[in-house]
Amino acid sequence: MSNAQEAWRTLGLGALGIALFLLAWELIGLNRLAGLSWPAFSTVIDYALQPPRYPMFGRAMGATFTTVAVGYVSGAVLGIVLAGAVHVVTWFRPGVDRLASVIHSIPPIALAPLLIVLINRDSTGIVIAALNVFFILYVATGSGLNASSKTHRDLFQVLGARPSTRLMRLDFPAALPAMVGGLKYAVPAAFIGAILGEWFGSSRGLGLLMVSAMQNFQIPLLWSAVLIASTSSLLLFGLMSLLEQSVRRRNR
Amino acid sequence: MHRHAILNASNNSNNERSTWAIDVDHVSKSFALAGGQSLLAIDDVDIKIAKGEFVALLGPSGCGKSTILRLVAALEQVNSGRVTINGRAPVELSRSHRLGVAFQDHALLPWLTVEANLALPFHVAGQSVDKDRIAELLNLVGLGAFGKARPSQLSGGMRQRVSIARALALRPEVLLLDEPFGALDAVTRQHMNIELQRIWSEQRITTLLVTHSVEEALFLADRVLVMSGRPGRVIRSVEVPFGRPRAPAVQRTSEFHALADELTLALEPEPAA
Repeated sequence: MSNAQEAWRTLGLGALGIALFLLAWELIGLNRLAGLSWPAFSTVIDYALQPPRYPMFGRAMGATFTTVAVGYVSGAVLGIVLAGAVHVVTWFRPGVDRLASVIHSIPPIALAPLLIVLINRDSTGIVIAALNVFFILYVATGSGLNASSKTHRDLFQVLGARPSTRLMRLDFPAALPAMVGGLKYAVPAAFIGAILGEWFGSSRGLGLLMVSAMQNFQIPLLWSAVLIASTSSLLLFGLMSLLEQSVRRRNR
Repeated sequence: MHRHAILNASNNSNNERSTWAIDVDHVSKSFALAGGQSLLAIDDVDIKIAKGEFVALLGPSGCGKSTILRLVAALEQVNSGRVTINGRAPVELSRSHRLGVAFQDHALLPWLTVEANLALPFHVAGQSVDKDRIAELLNLVGLGAFGKARPSQLSGGMRQRVSIARALALRPEVLLLDEPFGALDAVTRQHMNIELQRIWSEQRITTLLVTHSVEEALFLADRVLVMSGRPGRVIRSVEVPFGRPRAPAVQRTSEFHALADELTLALEPEPAA
């Protein structure tokens, strides 16, 4: 089977999978198989696509996406820069490695109340998202920077490369696939952080919408907010996968 | 550590400055193994290479011939003896970007085009990229039309030619070749030997070639050194009588065959009964 055929097959099977998933959602909802809190897919779509509700969803999306974006970018920059720093100044690598692991092993849900007290309600999501993204990018970049082959490192040594030259011309380009892979997995992590932060009493966002819909038993609203958050996360994840594929092709 | 290496070199050169292009002067090298033991890789190896000479180091795998090349390339440090290139320590040459090296693995950067790979030594040395030199090198290795190609689009033999061109880019003082065609199939390898013969005849740069192929050594080198294994020692030195330029037909002469047989025998100290 040719590559193009293979790609179409994958695409077709993927579309079929999504269709089956939506069909099951619809049937379970229509027949009330999972009780009142499981609406049909068509009910949720119908609810979300009412023009009078656009401003509400728009405001919530604006707030959540801003939190995600700020957390994602700052966490990624921090992770990449710190991984680069310990790659050059190796003696403080073990310490930073351990610190990152310790921070990562604290569940963000335990950290959130602390952050609310320390910072404020509206920035908590940014901090949790940034922490999540930071860890993924720190690990991905760190392993990526060591991905160059032994012969490449020998070559740079024989050519008389300074450490900074090697970092910019060998280690960093060799790390790109791993870094973009990290950026891909960091997308849902940033969404988790942002929405978790919003659950803890933020004044805006999809997370707030979810909590208030849940408490007021507005089932279609709850599912709409979840659907918007998941779809956005999946779309960004898909985009990063495409980027990752092209970077991997380039580095092969 | 660097300062230390320079001090050592100057201490040594106080005794007498070597006039050889490459001087491996009674060198031994051992590697630490797990469990506190150490493995003597090469023992009291003495190799003198004159300026413009092509020497092939021939030996079975694991005999330490690559270790010798790595010592000359400043990738390893000696335990005793000393290595000098035109009287200077290898690490001085690598730091002043005066070494050319090609490995069995072509070690081209996959994210760069062929041209950009050839520009790498200039960037690393902090020099402005000499476009004319790169074009000249591409023509020298017969890849004039492939400057914009990526390594992944080239055949194995083409990649090795780019790798050798990169080694020559900064007109190094010595060219070090570590089994550059070892991973190629026999037919391509034969082609590459003819190519390297032609390229070398145009450059006449002091060259140390590490190989396990008797025919390759005989066809390319001015002198063949045969090594025995564990620990590595030089056991024979054979002057190759064929003139330059050397036509591929040389390989079909009876003199070539006789020398090849002699070297093959030297490689096997205990011939099978």
